[in-house]
Amino acid sequence: MNGWTGHILRIDLTKKTFKKEAYTEEFAQKWVGGRGFAVKILYDELKPGIDALGPENKFIVAVGPLAGVTAPNTGKTVVAAKSPLTGGYADGNLGSHITIHLRKAGYDALIFEGKLAQPGYVSIEDDKVSFCDAQEIWGKGTFEAQEWLYGKYGKTAGILSIGQGGENKVLYAMVRSMEGRAGGRPGVGAVMGSKNLKAVVVKGTKEIPLARAAEMKARGVGDMKKVAELDKKSAWSKTGTNAVLAWCNEMAALPVRNMRKTSSPEAYKIDGERLRDACVKTYGCPNCTMRCGLTMIDKEGHESELDYENVGMLGADLEIFDLQQVASLNYMCDDFGVDTISAGAVLAFYADAIDHGATKGDFKFGDAERAKELLRMACLRQGEVGNLLADGSLRMARKFGHDSEAYAMQCKGLELSAYNCKYVPGQALSFGVGPMGAHHKEAWIITYELKQTERGGYGRDKAQKVVDIQRIRTGLFEALPACRFPWVEVGFELQNYPDYFNAITGLDWKLEDFYKAGDRIWALMKAFYAREFPKLDRKHDYPPRVYFDPANADKDGIIAGKHLEVDKYDQLLGHFYDIRGWDDRGVPTRKTMESLGLSKEADDLAKYTKVT
Amino acid sequence: MTVRVRLIGPFIPRFGFSEKDLEVPSPCTAADLQLLLGLQGVENLMTLQGRGLKPQDALSDGDRVVVAPIFSGG
Repeated sequence: MNGWTGHILRIDLTKKTFKKEAYTEEFAQKWVGGRGFAVKILYDELKPGIDALGPENKFIVAVGPLAGVTAPNTGKTVVAAKSPLTGGYADGNLGSHITIHLRKAGYDALIFEGKLAQPGYVSIEDDKVSFCDAQEIWGKGTFEAQEWLYGKYGKTAGILSIGQGGENKVLYAMVRSMEGRAGGRPGVGAVMGSKNLKAVVVKGTKEIPLARAAEMKARGVGDMKKVAELDKKSAWSKTGTNAVLAWCNEMAALPVRNMRKTSSPEAYKIDGERLRDACVKTYGCPNCTMRCGLTMIDKEGHESELDYENVGMLGADLEIFDLQQVASLNYMCDDFGVDTISAGAVLAFYADAIDHGATKGDFKFGDAERAKELLRMACLRQGEVGNLLADGSLRMARKFGHDSEAYAMQCKGLELSAYNCKYVPGQALSFGVGPMGAHHKEAWIITYELKQTERGGYGRDKAQKVVDIQRIRTGLFEALPACRFPWVEVGFELQNYPDYFNAITGLDWKLEDFYKAGDRIWALMKAFYAREFPKLDRKHDYPPRVYFDPANADKDGIIAGKHLEVDKYDQLLGHFYDIRGWDDRGVPTRKTMESLGLSKEADDLAKYTKVT
Repeated sequence: MTVRVRLIGPFIPRFGFSEKDLEVPSPCTAADLQLLLGLQGVENLMTLQGRGLKPQDALSDGDRVVVAPIFSGG
């Protein structure tokens, strides 16, 4: 089979054994790779109700047909597990040399099972697998751990690692690579930590099987130049993703003060222009043609690589309008290996809960030094407050009581990315319906809402747009996998991706084939969630309650007096379910699952929850 | 009449300003403003008071228009 290696490597950490397993071409074509492989493996192999931080959980590393191939921005790897934060399926994609090495070693996925008796790491060099001691880097941050591993394996080796956040099982700990790259927001790093697995190193030397190798190489090299030119022409990477901050501020969609506010007159102090001026170097992933990692020097003198989500959540949402301090918080998150979005949201919720009398504490919005102390305490799980903050905003709210869950800014336990949906119903829907929780990478439709329809509307078109984008992002970018920026930011045509895929595999897929695969993968992600929460209802797909509260509406500005309306949101949710072919609880129907080739999975799901 | 234009992100280095007043003929539509800015053929999102402008929408003296590229999320 061209385009896939046809093999998965299964590693038992408890027994320190491994096994190379073949998979079929039917499996490859049904699940494509990346997220598709990960969710299928986890759905089939995990028993519902297991402890996500127990040895029964599995940590998956998966790539796909585009991995290791010369083409624009194709250096992405998916990391996945059952989430300790949400209880559902969790994944993230990150740029890493492991993408290339894994394929060259002859695998499309790694499955880590069980738990190491002592902290360690696993090294894979083609067919050789070694279980190594990690005592020297256990308790160290990701930068030091990666440096230590570079010393042993070289800087271009494929390396994934965790920091103290993952070791201490902070529920929003991530997996890190190549200094600035991170993935797995809903606690995938904590799952590695629970297995005493500090790092994974891969080095491969084999040929990657391609159907039309010469064609792919010529096309890929040309297109890398093309995307680089598109980026240069548009000047996108001059400010990178943080250009969005000024725009969100203008649109009253910026998270400010635990999303109580939607803009701030001080936002300019941390916007894309300021970051561009402070930038000392840029970083990119393997095969990157539009480097988005703008790096500046933080308050303590570290190099800190920032993007919009970091600045939005660690800056604006905490009312810290000092870019150097934001960079410091960002560096800490990167080094401890925790998600910047959730870290910012958790601290903002803590300050808000103190403000509203739900708990007692000494943290106020705008206090950068105290924010750093609290972040450190959370990542090291120091004391009662550290442990509280390490568990995420939903669990915090349930401890605080006083109806504080209403303003814990999360869906299904995962904190909202940096888009304030106070008056952006379609984006609120996108966050609400995500089977992993509120994640910007699944669907982002604010520009559609403003450009092509009524901002405050709840029309079926918005639900359709959310589904369309989910299909593209999951079917193509999460499964192949590849970075979406060439498409979303500089207009590189989507058709390029099926063209690459066909040259790599020798198949003849159209975009619609990827969308169907995306629907299949998405349905299984939701089935995974439904199996874990058999009594789920449509409230699981709602955004935070505070968005519906008239008292929370902006007092002035361009959306003064506006808020989401619960009846209309529910109607919009109904449109989404209808388009997706899900029932009125948000569970994929048997007919839908059968149409996607998921009859066996529907039978399984019906053992746990109602499937209509 | 005068329209205030606020550019976002990559448009700032591209057009050489962040925010400024522009003298425009009256009447002036969003499409007219795009032409004046040299944005024809460049995908963009024009908003006024947080709402998207359609090409035929008329602008008024003193309006502040935000012009951004089509972002699609981080």
